[in-house]
Amino acid sequence: MSDKPLLEVRNLSTYFYTQDGIVKAVDGVSYAVDRGETIALVGESGCGKTVSALSILRLIPEPPGKIASGEILFDGIDILTLPKDRMLDIRGDRIAMIFQEPLTALNPVLTIGLQITEALERHRNMHGAVALEEAIRLLKIVGIPQPDQRVKDYPHQFSGGMRQRAMIALAISCEPELIIADEPTTVVDVTIQAQLLELIRGITEKLNTALILITHNLGIVARYAHRVYVMYAGHIIEHGSSQDIYHHPCHPYTRGLLASVPRLDEPRKTRLQPIEGQPPDLIQLPPGCAFGPRCPHVIDACRQAVPPMTEVSPGHYAACRLAVPDRKQS
Amino acid sequence: MITDTVRPHRSLWGDAFIRLRRNRLAVTGGVIILLIALTTIIYPFFSRYDFASQDLNAILQSPSMKHFLGTDELGRDVFTRLIYGARTSLSVGIFTQLIVLGIGLPLGAISGAAGGRADNLIMRFVDVIYAFPDLLLIILLRAILGGSIYMIFLAIGLVSWVNVARLVRGQTLALKQRDFVTAARVFGGFGSYITTRHLLPNSLGPVIVAVTFNIPRAIFAEAALAYIGIGVKPPTPSWGAMIRDGNNVIFAAPHLVLFPAIAIGILMLSFTFLGDGLRDALDPRLRR
Repeated sequence: MSDKPLLEVRNLSTYFYTQDGIVKAVDGVSYAVDRGETIALVGESGCGKTVSALSILRLIPEPPGKIASGEILFDGIDILTLPKDRMLDIRGDRIAMIFQEPLTALNPVLTIGLQITEALERHRNMHGAVALEEAIRLLKIVGIPQPDQRVKDYPHQFSGGMRQRAMIALAISCEPELIIADEPTTVVDVTIQAQLLELIRGITEKLNTALILITHNLGIVARYAHRVYVMYAGHIIEHGSSQDIYHHPCHPYTRGLLASVPRLDEPRKTRLQPIEGQPPDLIQLPPGCAFGPRCPHVIDACRQAVPPMTEVSPGHYAACRLAVPDRKQS
Repeated sequence: MITDTVRPHRSLWGDAFIRLRRNRLAVTGGVIILLIALTTIIYPFFSRYDFASQDLNAILQSPSMKHFLGTDELGRDVFTRLIYGARTSLSVGIFTQLIVLGIGLPLGAISGAAGGRADNLIMRFVDVIYAFPDLLLIILLRAILGGSIYMIFLAIGLVSWVNVARLVRGQTLALKQRDFVTAARVFGGFGSYITTRHLLPNSLGPVIVAVTFNIPRAIFAEAALAYIGIGVKPPTPSWGAMIRDGNNVIFAAPHLVLFPAIAIGILMLSFTFLGDGLRDALDPRLRR
């Protein structure tokens, strides 16, 4: 195993060219994932989490979308310069994805088994009974009872949680090196959420698979991710180990996010603090810090130029002029 | 663990069939169509009459025990000719739709899946055909292709594929936006594979409905052609031709017009009811 990261995103910018102007959904984002590592992309709706993940697979609808600049190095290869057919070989085989809504991500007129064998046929050259056998084995791994029966079911005969399990089975069918999970637990209820996340963690640990967990749920992040990237308005504004982010948040936005989530380790009478205001219009970002208009600590310098990424402590970075470790909570 | 009960495995089509069976009109339509089809197959083995054999001693007879629905102006048995006419009508209904599917499905799918210039080209061509009055175009094609029954299938088919092509294109365009198509691409699927494996099967329901509604239109088109005298060549019976022949003697023997007209009505209605039932049965919004 080399010490080079499995996936390295450098200065990625993905823009959407609309009638109203250029939407900078992802603007100069960099992150890295090591083999077997789980990172989390955190942020509120519309901050560019999903777009940055779809960019890795080159699945941005084009037009109107376009990857304007940047490099995505996967195992040392720049994915963005690969010819289309080489990209098809990578998708599903080396990089897989788990979708937010398994019901819409599964084809309603094909059986679960057929959909799982699809990737096996494409990448592993397995056919017929062999592929079906493998599909049953995968369903068993993800904890679906009576997999030899259920493999013949259609998606609408599965419950929500089971559909997501089937989706996970599909994602791991070719033992990919990287799985992108786009809010995998948003549509299932809390009890199933925990089960699914444990399942995903167990599998990624066993297969040494790297995982990009896209979520807005900071509770999940603390428990499952090794490192966290906080996104706001298409930029990464803070990143570090989940310990750093959770216990010493530096960026006012990260603090705001944490303050708006209930915590078990604080007295119950603490009130939840919402972040005031709305996320900015991605077509016309303010010239300085994108969070400036909502920031309680904003100073003049913030409004003039985008604050640079500074290292607060080893491995913990924040793009804020006031970035000093939060001693109050430590 | 989750649930351990196993329900009987029903496919989507199985579900649809169960819903179809609850629709009384649709079942009636289907049964009538099956009965007519079976009769056309079995009848020739038992019939005393041939559709072309004339009995000039017994022309223009009213319905009787000997001639169940009477005879025409050449003394041919009307019931026999109706049955053989059903053969013409049913085969027109079915074979034109095979042609319609053969042209409409691929063109619609290519149009919707490829988009861009190919889409534009195909759809403008569809518009041109759509803009023509159907019957006029059929008559034109009939003049070019000649009068054998196969050429009549072809003429009607070549005119009526446009609505299926439009339908499939629309379905494909809508389905393309769905997550499972993105998912298929995530797992390495490519253009033509996704179209045939994911897009087409999902649009089959509405296509089946459209085709079922197309059948009575094709039957009517053939009858109309025969009525104006450019349908299948005599003595091959066709309901349209029977009505035209009966027209000449409508006051002497009104049954010669009445019976084929009723037959056309019943067959068209049956297909329409069946299509109606299929539409309800295959509509995913009604799925429970």
